[in-house]
Amino acid sequence: MYPVNPKLTRRRFIKGVIASGAAATSTSIWYAANGAERPPGAVERLIRINVNGQVRSVDVPPQETLASTLRYKLGLTGTKLGCNRGECGACTVLVDDIPSYGCSILTHSVKAMRIETVEGLESANGDLHPVQQAFVEELSPQCGYCTPGQVMAAVGLLRANPNPTREEARQGMAGNICRCGSYDSYLNGVMRAAEIG
Amino acid sequence: MAYMHIGKDFVPPDAPGKVTGRIKYSEDYTREGMVYARLLTSPVPHGRVVNIDASAALAMDGVVGILTADDVYPDGEPQSTGLKILTNEPTLVGEPILAVAAVDEKTAESAMALISLTIERLPFVLDPLDSLREGGADAYTGGNTFVFRQGFAQEKWTSDQITSFQNGREPSAEPQQSWEYGDLEAGFASSDFVYETSFSTAGYPHMSMEPRSAMAYWENGKCYLHGTSQSLTALAEPMANIIGVPLEDFVFINEATGGGFGQRSRAGSIPSMAIPARFSQKINRPVMMRVTREEEFTIGGARQGLQGWIKVGFRSDGSMAAMDMYCVSDSGGKGGGGDANSAAAGVSALYQSEAMRFRNTSIGTNTGHRGAQRGPGENQIMAIVAPIMDKAAEALGLDRLAIRKMNAAQNGDVSGSRSTPFTSAYMPEALEMAAEQFDWEGRKSRSRQANGSKVTGLGIGQGYHNAGRSGMDGIVRMLPNGRLQMHTGVGNLGTYSYASTSRAAAEVLKMSWDDCDIITGRTDRHLAISSPQDGSNSIFTNTRTAYGAAQDMLAKMKEIAAMDLGGAAADYDIDGSRVYQITDNTVGMTYATVAQRALELGGKFTGEAEVPEDLNSLTALSVSRLAGSALMGIYHDPRHAGNPPGFAVAMIEIELDTETGKFDIIELVNIAECGTVVHPQGLKNQLVGGAVWGIGLSVLERHLYDPQNGIPASTGFWQSKIPTYLDTPANIGTGWVDLPDPENPVGARGIGEPSMGSVSAALNAAISDALDGHLFDAAPVTTDMIINHVAGISEEAIPLAQNNFRG
Amino acid sequence: MVATSHDVMPDIELYQPTDEASALALANTLGSDGWLLGGGQDTYGWLKDRNKTPAAMIELTQVDAWKGIRETADGVEIGAVTTITEIATNPLIQSKYALLSTAAGRVASPQIRNVGTLGGNLVQDARCWYYRRGLDCYRAGGNICYADSPEGLNREHALFGSSRCVAVSPSDTAPALVALDATMVVSSVGGQRLIAAQDFFVGPARDITHMTVLNEGEILTAVRIPNTWANAEFYFEKVADRNVWDFALVNVAAAFKVSGGTIEDVRIVCGAVECVPRRLDAVEDAIRGQQRSEQLAEEVASIASEGARPLNYNHFKVPLMENLVKRAIRG
Ligand SMILES: Cc1cc2nc3c(=O)[nH]c(=O)nc-3n(C[C@H](O)[C@H](O)[C@H](O)COP(=O)(O)OP(=O)(O)OC[C@H]3O[C@@H](n4cnc5c(N)ncnc54)[C@H](O)[C@@H]3O)c2cc1C
Ligand code: SF4
Ligand code: FES
Ligand code: FES
Repeated sequence: MYPVNPKLTRRRFIKGVIASGAAATSTSIWYAANGAERPPGAVERLIRINVNGQVRSVDVPPQETLASTLRYKLGLTGTKLGCNRGECGACTVLVDDIPSYGCSILTHSVKAMRIETVEGLESANGDLHPVQQAFVEELSPQCGYCTPGQVMAAVGLLRANPNPTREEARQGMAGNICRCGSYDSYLNGVMRAAEIG
Repeated sequence: MAYMHIGKDFVPPDAPGKVTGRIKYSEDYTREGMVYARLLTSPVPHGRVVNIDASAALAMDGVVGILTADDVYPDGEPQSTGLKILTNEPTLVGEPILAVAAVDEKTAESAMALISLTIERLPFVLDPLDSLREGGADAYTGGNTFVFRQGFAQEKWTSDQITSFQNGREPSAEPQQSWEYGDLEAGFASSDFVYETSFSTAGYPHMSMEPRSAMAYWENGKCYLHGTSQSLTALAEPMANIIGVPLEDFVFINEATGGGFGQRSRAGSIPSMAIPARFSQKINRPVMMRVTREEEFTIGGARQGLQGWIKVGFRSDGSMAAMDMYCVSDSGGKGGGGDANSAAAGVSALYQSEAMRFRNTSIGTNTGHRGAQRGPGENQIMAIVAPIMDKAAEALGLDRLAIRKMNAAQNGDVSGSRSTPFTSAYMPEALEMAAEQFDWEGRKSRSRQANGSKVTGLGIGQGYHNAGRSGMDGIVRMLPNGRLQMHTGVGNLGTYSYASTSRAAAEVLKMSWDDCDIITGRTDRHLAISSPQDGSNSIFTNTRTAYGAAQDMLAKMKEIAAMDLGGAAADYDIDGSRVYQITDNTVGMTYATVAQRALELGGKFTGEAEVPEDLNSLTALSVSRLAGSALMGIYHDPRHAGNPPGFAVAMIEIELDTETGKFDIIELVNIAECGTVVHPQGLKNQLVGGAVWGIGLSVLERHLYDPQNGIPASTGFWQSKIPTYLDTPANIGTGWVDLPDPENPVGARGIGEPSMGSVSAALNAAISDALDGHLFDAAPVTTDMIINHVAGISEEAIPLAQNNFRG
Repeated sequence: MVATSHDVMPDIELYQPTDEASALALANTLGSDGWLLGGGQDTYGWLKDRNKTPAAMIELTQVDAWKGIRETADGVEIGAVTTITEIATNPLIQSKYALLSTAAGRVASPQIRNVGTLGGNLVQDARCWYYRRGLDCYRAGGNICYADSPEGLNREHALFGSSRCVAVSPSDTAPALVALDATMVVSSVGGQRLIAAQDFFVGPARDITHMTVLNEGEILTAVRIPNTWANAEFYFEKVADRNVWDFALVNVAAAFKVSGGTIEDVRIVCGAVECVPRRLDAVEDAIRGQQRSEQLAEEVASIASEGARPLNYNHFKVPLMENLVKRAIRG
């Protein structure tokens, strides 16, 4: 009925892909079935974590990522998921002052550490953090979706290096993609934040 | 002209929410009882679903339901190209076939593995030329192309025709689409330098930062959809139609959009938002459908790739005498895209070729759908043409800046197939300004100078897009407390134009910005329609409506003052808080009092009578719901005349390392010619953002599908090569010509797309310059292409390939 | 899976041993059901995609004994769970083994370096996209290679040493460690074994489903760098499409001992051209004892690519590799 592409004969089709149900056994979670053989000592789900200076009790499955806990358990939706794969930086949070991808870190791995998100930066009286203030003044964000990650990367950078050169700032911010291409405006913001910091 | 607001920076109301993370995107909402949907998508590039057995999945703990194409299209799927909500006839890998909802995402994902899907495979194709070739597969079931109003059709060329095209010769087949003006033959005959080549430009994914997640619920017969869009009102009515709910029962909520570069301007490019809406209706629970990065790739759309042939003739003075262009455009798996036509129109606008012919054939492939994406067509073609301009300059012994000035668009010029006049055009001024800021004269001598393995390359690029529309509406209201409420439907996609265009209303009423509120974010706040915010048009289009609505309000205010205080309306003026008699300014009333009086008077003053007849349906609905609530200014914008252009000029100096194929951008300036500047910071952001996109187009971004299985390879930011901080310069110089356009009340035109084309063109020209004028006739020019060129290697790349490396 | 995008971590158990013995015991008991977890930067994609489905993760980063950088009598010892950022910024490494700190600084992105460990960077799996997408290729235990085929997308694949699989060594630190004659310290409940860095990585001819010699139950606990190359003249360069995140198209790590202009000894290693970091012995032999010069670089560069078997789309790696070797020799 349809003309067949001569190339088709050369094509090597992926086996088993047509009936995706066939993949069920390989993708189903079978650790449960193996449960009896599991060695003891696996992590407890109920944990307390320090987020933005507050200690919160949460029920966290062992495999849960920090970004999931923050967004879906603690309602801290400022931390964004742009890729969920370590490829963009939208989920950047500080763990003991170190910028880390929240999508690519387990909550259990950092339960003993200080976690800071974009929601925790304003001072008690509501003043914006210098980085936030500078980003507003320079109008660094465009669509804003990468902004919380950019803010956290900048805060982490300035804690480690309060007076960076523009080149140092650029290197330090390099793990954050901005699809809107606002890099120049973010760098202006970082440099201004260092001034007003 | 001295303005209060136009041309001034301000803090857009959403800026603080963006830096604090408080502003909400669709996936940030939750709702009591919400369940989570995930998509089961097509494993094959082209197929037909024979059977779906979901019984095991539905029996799983925590699974709430499934939604299939049979649910959303009970009378059968539409037989045309275009994205469908769900489908049983997928034409690309990753096309949504069904959705599963469960109490959490993990369960939904696990449930998918229990669904047994039987699909009949159909032949597929990834490169338009493979489909055009006799005997080649067709991307769609009814053919390889879709003709508007006629349906599917099949287009085939002989093998010889294809091979000849791949070898750089003019295609001999009849095109689907064509236009021409001037005497092409005479143009080439009078040319002293003619360049002819085949070329290819890559399609590549849209990849907004925010995946197109959506959440929906129904309450009292109304459908509430938290979604994402470039224009929340332009999209609302067609979205309601896709969902199948009357406009008056549909509330679209979209406070912020995490980036829109064309593929979120129209409901048809984002029908996936209807999935949670239809699903929620079916299972009677709020449904959140988070979209993954991979899904954003597969359903988020892509730029069209072009396989083309171009022939350009120049006279000895550098003027472009004739341009002939033939394209085969990749329409992807769902049709869409008019890039080739815009490319030709763009060349006509920028280089003012005396004679021109355009021909095009659009062919489907089993890859992501195509559609508008930042400067569709114009920005690809400028990267091809800019190095050709330099070739011509070299051959004719002209300066590279001079040849561009010679052909530059000015006031009174026309462009395109219909020879439409520009509303105004100042390209020579823009070139001048860029040259000054970049110091073209000073840098010129550095061109092609070597320093070890590094060679300096200079490039000049120009960008263009038709940047203005009309026919939209405006609504403003004055509350009894004297505050101005500007009901804008302009989307919040990162340009801040929702706020900056509204300022035209404050300008008219001379009001302090502190006394104005922008009403936006959800359609049940009763907004005015805006244009779909593609095509760089928001600034032009929506300042017209904001201005017009405020003028209507101003007239009503004067009329009320005259009614109450005597005299005629024309005897009154305003100062930002009072309407007063011109001859005796002690006689007057405050805006608040006028608004209170309006409420007493009712009728036309409060939108209860004499409403403009030709309002768009969404605006009319909003007005009817606001009627009687305040003093209202209501406006329907008539059509404008002419073509309001957005222009940009970029100049780049690079240092290219011939041993690694990598380069550093030493200097980059990007200059706008977009009428009066409305919002300097916003404009600057468009210029730097456009520059980053231009770099992506010119050297990095890609759209890969495996020829063996038709599966996508470049699904994430990493594999699609989205430019990073370190692929773009630490400083980007910007500037603007700032001369008013007569067709806009504040003199403004748009810029978002040209600001990218200028840079894609300049960078490609600079690379060519650094390589002794070598033309790749392709975009992007990737590291490996440069290395191969320098090493004299030609490898087995398929000429003009699409959805593959080198294209 | 190929068909449908998966994005959520499925149920997997997690162990967080804090001492060496329990970590080794867990690795032993869980065997192939257990997944060693460094910083997880190479791991979570596999798990979210459900393309690898271990029952449990054993987190190694809580074991203090495996952390940090220590000066030893014979050089330095770097714990395997030390982060890449620490290595890139450590003063001792920067002063004695700048080759490694430079290479570490070019890995991925700042945040990945902040969390990713040296062990994870060395043991990370192949980045061939067909394999990562969950296709049933040789490396995944199937019997086909999608990359080494007439139409395969193989721009980023190998020039050398392919044997059914043409995936390349992805790590930026690995070539540096091979060039520095490092030793891998590998432990298991059965004891410890020391493996020369060069022998640590394996190609498909020997084991098509693993990138290293590690056996089930074995953990890389430290890397020792001898004084041999301390303060030598180093050259590291990585060429990638984007300057952040992207894996090398080709990288080169070289160490020279030069005296009076003469190359007394040298190591040159290239990454991303073979499944293992490729030591360029032939080039080393050709330049040992010669004056380090531009001319020498020009003369020997072509030796670097001898025996290369380019695929459809990766011919450019041949001149690129030669050029990087040239630059390394030029200094
Ligand atoms: C988007 C992206 C871009 C990247 N770009 C680069 C790049 O440019 N250059 C580069 O070199 N790398 C790159 N990487 C890889 C990254 O550097 C590594 O993923 C990271 O270094 C791995 O460290 P980890 O500790 O997080 O590894 P993990 O994910 O924890 O582990 C990786 C693998 O090693 C095993 N493993 C970990 N530690 C040990 C140990 N001590 N003993 C035995 N086995 C162990 C794990 O079981 C797993 O199989 C990139 C990764 C991503 C996601
Ligand atoms: S190169 Fe190796 S990993 Fe890639 S498809 Fe071939 S066998 Fe699999
Ligand atoms: S969401 Fe974590 S890096 Fe992209
Ligand atoms: S502001 Fe839109 S992605 Fe950065």
